[in-house]
Amino acid sequence: MIEHQRGEMKWLPWAGINLRRNPFGELSPEERAELAVVDVEPILARLSEQRVAVQFIGACGRGKTTRMLALLKHLPNASYTYLPEDAACPAIAMGDPILIDEAQRLPRYVRRRIWSSGISLVLSTHRDLRRSLRRSGYRVTTMRIGNGNTPSHVCQLLNRRIDASRLHTGSVPSLTLRAAECLVSRFGSDIRAMEHHLYEQLQKQVEQHGEVRSFDCVG
Amino acid sequence: MAKCDLSIVLDDPQGVHLSGGKITGVVKVQIDADVECKGLEVKSGWRTHGRGNVASGTAGTMTLFQGQWRAGETQEYRFELPIADWPPSYHGYYLSVDHYIDVRAKIPWAFDPKASEPFPVVANCEPEDAKIARNVTEIKGIVGVIVTVVILGFVVGFCVMLAAAGPFALFLLIVPVIGSIWWFFRKFLPKYLLGDVRFDFDAEHVSPGGTASGQLVIRPKKNVPVNAISLHFRAREQCVSGSGSNRKTHTHVFLDTQETIQQATTLTAGQEQTFPVHISIPADAAYSMELSDNKVIWSTTLRVDIPRWPDWVREIPLPVLPSGKTGSSKTNPDSTPKSTAPAKGGSESFGTPQAIPVGVMLDDPSFEEPSQTQITFEETANHIWDVREDREQVEMLVDAVSGLTFDLQAEIERRLLYAGEDDANVYEDGYAVWARYPDPDLPLVLYVPHELADEFEQIGREIWRGRGTIVGWDGLHGRLQIRVEVQ
Repeated sequence: MIEHQRGEMKWLPWAGINLRRNPFGELSPEERAELAVVDVEPILARLSEQRVAVQFIGACGRGKTTRMLALLKHLPNASYTYLPEDAACPAIAMGDPILIDEAQRLPRYVRRRIWSSGISLVLSTHRDLRRSLRRSGYRVTTMRIGNGNTPSHVCQLLNRRIDASRLHTGSVPSLTLRAAECLVSRFGSDIRAMEHHLYEQLQKQVEQHGEVRSFDCVG
Repeated sequence: MAKCDLSIVLDDPQGVHLSGGKITGVVKVQIDADVECKGLEVKSGWRTHGRGNVASGTAGTMTLFQGQWRAGETQEYRFELPIADWPPSYHGYYLSVDHYIDVRAKIPWAFDPKASEPFPVVANCEPEDAKIARNVTEIKGIVGVIVTVVILGFVVGFCVMLAAAGPFALFLLIVPVIGSIWWFFRKFLPKYLLGDVRFDFDAEHVSPGGTASGQLVIRPKKNVPVNAISLHFRAREQCVSGSGSNRKTHTHVFLDTQETIQQATTLTAGQEQTFPVHISIPADAAYSMELSDNKVIWSTTLRVDIPRWPDWVREIPLPVLPSGKTGSSKTNPDSTPKSTAPAKGGSESFGTPQAIPVGVMLDDPSFEEPSQTQITFEETANHIWDVREDREQVEMLVDAVSGLTFDLQAEIERRLLYAGEDDANVYEDGYAVWARYPDPDLPLVLYVPHELADEFEQIGREIWRGRGTIVGWDGLHGRLQIRVEVQ
């Protein structure tokens, strides 16, 4: 259920529900890292060892990149590189460790150069790279991303996004566990699809009524 | 738990501010525990929010305090900061732009407390200062003919090679064949009947509340009956989220009108016929914007509907821009034309006049092509820094200084394992490092020759001093590329 307070900033469409923006829009990488609901400690512990590789495997929208960005925040000496689909492989900086997003796109010769460095790696990938990593002497930890996107997890991370869009102190709308269950039954573990759905829903409610009554998963 | 709470109180929280002006207020700090603050930093700027990848810009930054705070104290620090010239505030469906005062207290070994306060800004700039792409000039005349001949030559050569490779390779021709069919029906056939059709607006842009006038001129090669000549006027938000395989474009049309400028008629062969076109722009129209992956686009599509023949269709962008500067630096919200764009979705914009050019404009006659004796690296770095948020300007500037060699210094950041597409710039047996010029904080890529490899290894993250030649711009990472010279 929603509690809301009326703000005085009438020029801001979301001020009426004490928000400064639609919480389900795109975030900057820094903000994604800040809002991630990820237990990074076990991964950080693993990375304290020599020549280890941690790979996150999962479909789009499950949280691989968010995990990488959250880890990066805790690793001041790390480097992070995103490999685009339709462009040449960008520069990859030394780091401790090296984080590579969409690592399945690494050209073979670049991959060889990185694997041979022996530096610890964190990879997000759609393809299991365990075999080639092991051949290069890495001890590999594989994490399947998406299985942990349960209703309570979804509820927690979406409410965190709402709270991060808060305008001032006071109450803001919230997502109930029941609504999160409904989202999970409709979208599975695809967090991005849930966010898109909620963005549209909130935008329409704010424009039509100027207020938000509830978040649910009715399209 | 944070050791202090920050809040921002603007001097005029209800006021609507003019772009390019100043904003003043107070940062309040309520301290819960003794803490050393490495810097209480406040800045003004803008950010997009909505479905597109976030774009942002900073107008000004101040450090308000450095030192020790004591538990139980409440401190107040005044600030005065510039407001960005462009863009103005805008609230649409997929795209919104807001201006903020952001404050952050840098606390060692703890999360930095921060606060943010939005404020509304209306445009107060000349149309030329609004950063949007102008109409793209079509390739015409002899250049167009040459380009067409080269493309055709390439396609024919490709076909001959395929034929030689065997019949199975012919399926590769599907794309060029579909392209050729599209071109034949959409371009060649309408032009075959209508001849050269010209359409231009009298002005390059229009302001909210104004009228865009232009004319359509047709001189058909033979008598052509037409069902109608119509004009389709649309305004849309176009935002891109994600990148690579996750890249997705979101479009929201917030104005869509259609009018007939000529009912059914017959266009006479060889006779030039002119059809005036007038488009009224709503007084509360949102401005055209291009903020990286976030755009507001106004466009007109003209259609000559020819019975039993492909129609002639052309889309022409019509930038809607501020009309010019007003005077005062602040305006009363009640007197500001806050508006909802007519039509579905309702985009709200704060429209009214004005901005200021950022940094060096290369078409400014006062800017001269630099020569080796005229410019230092510091000046070059400052020029690039000033225009760093406008990639086109940066690339033009870097083009102008490419090949010049300077004495310079840099703080070394880290070595590259792989230098990307620009691996070609790497010396044989050399390598590349990321670095920064100290002031301004311009990011660099230094290509280090083998002879200096040891020197760079020993420097670690210290300052390096030497000579280097500018070789380009790494647009992906926003870094100036420099080949280090052996002295």
